[in-house]
Amino acid sequence: MTSTLVSLTLRALLNRRRTLLLALVGVLLVLATLLYRLGGPSDGDALNVTRRLLGDFGLGVLLPLVAVIVGTASLGSELDDGTIVYLLAKPIPRWRIVLVKLAVAWLVVMVLVVPAIALAGLIAHPNANLATGYSLAAMVGALEYTAVFLALSLVTSRALVIGLAYVVVWEGVVAALFAGTRVLSIRQHALAVADALGGGDAAQAELGVGVALAVGIVVALLAAALAIRRLERVELRGETA
Amino acid sequence: MSTLVLAGVSRWYGNVVAVNDVSFEVGPGITGLLGPNGAGKTTLLHMMAGFLAPSAGEVHLDGRPTWRHPDIYRSIGFVPEREAVYGFLSGRQFVAASASLQGVPDPAEAAERAIDLVELQPAADRAIGGYSKGMRQRAKVAAALVHDPPVLILDEPFNGMDPRQRLHMMDLLRRHAAEGRTILFSSHILEEVERLSDRVLVVVAGRLAASGDFRRIRRLMTDRPHRFTLRSSDDRRLARELLAEAEIDAVELRDGFLTVRTGDYGALTRAVAPAAQRAGVSLLELHPADESLESVFSYLVRR
Repeated sequence: MTSTLVSLTLRALLNRRRTLLLALVGVLLVLATLLYRLGGPSDGDALNVTRRLLGDFGLGVLLPLVAVIVGTASLGSELDDGTIVYLLAKPIPRWRIVLVKLAVAWLVVMVLVVPAIALAGLIAHPNANLATGYSLAAMVGALEYTAVFLALSLVTSRALVIGLAYVVVWEGVVAALFAGTRVLSIRQHALAVADALGGGDAAQAELGVGVALAVGIVVALLAAALAIRRLERVELRGETA
Repeated sequence: MSTLVLAGVSRWYGNVVAVNDVSFEVGPGITGLLGPNGAGKTTLLHMMAGFLAPSAGEVHLDGRPTWRHPDIYRSIGFVPEREAVYGFLSGRQFVAASASLQGVPDPAEAAERAIDLVELQPAADRAIGGYSKGMRQRAKVAAALVHDPPVLILDEPFNGMDPRQRLHMMDLLRRHAAEGRTILFSSHILEEVERLSDRVLVVVAGRLAASGDFRRIRRLMTDRPHRFTLRSSDDRRLARELLAEAEIDAVELRDGFLTVRTGDYGALTRAVAPAAQRAGVSLLELHPADESLESVFSYLVRR
């Protein structure tokens, strides 16, 4: 039962051209890093550029972009086109549908994001801790983002737009201007993890890793609980209704 | 043997009432849910299948509420009206996935059986995305039957089927009903319901307008007053001649047309031509004024 749900979700996600195009954004990160290395940079700003590439581009653009598209599609696309009826008409507890969808979406996000970040990290800087730190941060961030965007897709039919707005406006602008809002920025949670694991070299986060992880876990759990609650109560109307 | 019971069920969306205080029971055999488009058939079926919460009243399947009880889907097969399917799956994969999600012990074998039932074998390995409407419909029915449920709910199952497929599907449903299953299907086409159902529920504007044996409802429908509009070379002469016929209840001359009312559809159509001949007028036009299904339904509602 679960394996069927996994393979249905995987096939639906991988069949979308959108998902595959996302892999190109990861390739772009690696290419940018390669170009930078080929330029023969001085050691002095290597650290700074690596932070920009992995933190700003990797965790700041690639990860949320992939997560918003995959996260909102994993259950949202079925809600949009009505095929959700084939899942709902089965004697499967709704929490299981949500958790399986979340796990698969998380996996897909990681596959699209983590290799690119790890590879870029290894190319950009001799300190391998940076690659490890940012990769693990991407994994943690991927789970939190995916849970939030999956829940969002069950709350509104405009999840993609709202999710993008959150990433660009909240995390990009508001969190940059007002330090107090950073505690609710998933990007800051991920950066805090990168900091903690990067052996002091990452140094981008404004949050302590303890706070970041605690808030991140609570947010992910609340999002999953909300998604389950919504799916248990989702109503299917007819086409004309 | 399973029974679906609706007790005082209403459903509204905002201030639009889609279903208005409907009560009935559906037991073994084939029940047809008949009504014009937009009458609330899908809303009713979705409430019965547990996809919509009733705003008031209750829906039970064998004593258990259908809303928010996913366990009931072990006993229900549901064929939605919407065409959307997992287009990237083949028919066989789609039906097998349904079997597996139902928790059927041997999904592959169950899928083969269901595909045989709906005669989809030749197309079973092609992607559903490329299916014709009728084939898609059969794949959906196979997926709904795959766990052998005692209750089958089908929303407009004959849409898009050609006449041969339609006959085959009717035969399939009859056989399933004969095995003691409870089958409920919706349709806006009188003939489909007439040919298939033991029992009919007529829904108009969210209300249950009539229910029971089809012959009784058919009689209600045919015994109502019929109106015809005529045009001839001399309407007044023709009117006089027609009024002499026992079956003609009223004639009216207005706006250059002759309107005739009768309680007997057949008698009027037989009487018109001879009457015109006797009166020596030539008949230019004759058509029923209110034979749309909607007017039949609204007549039933007014009763």
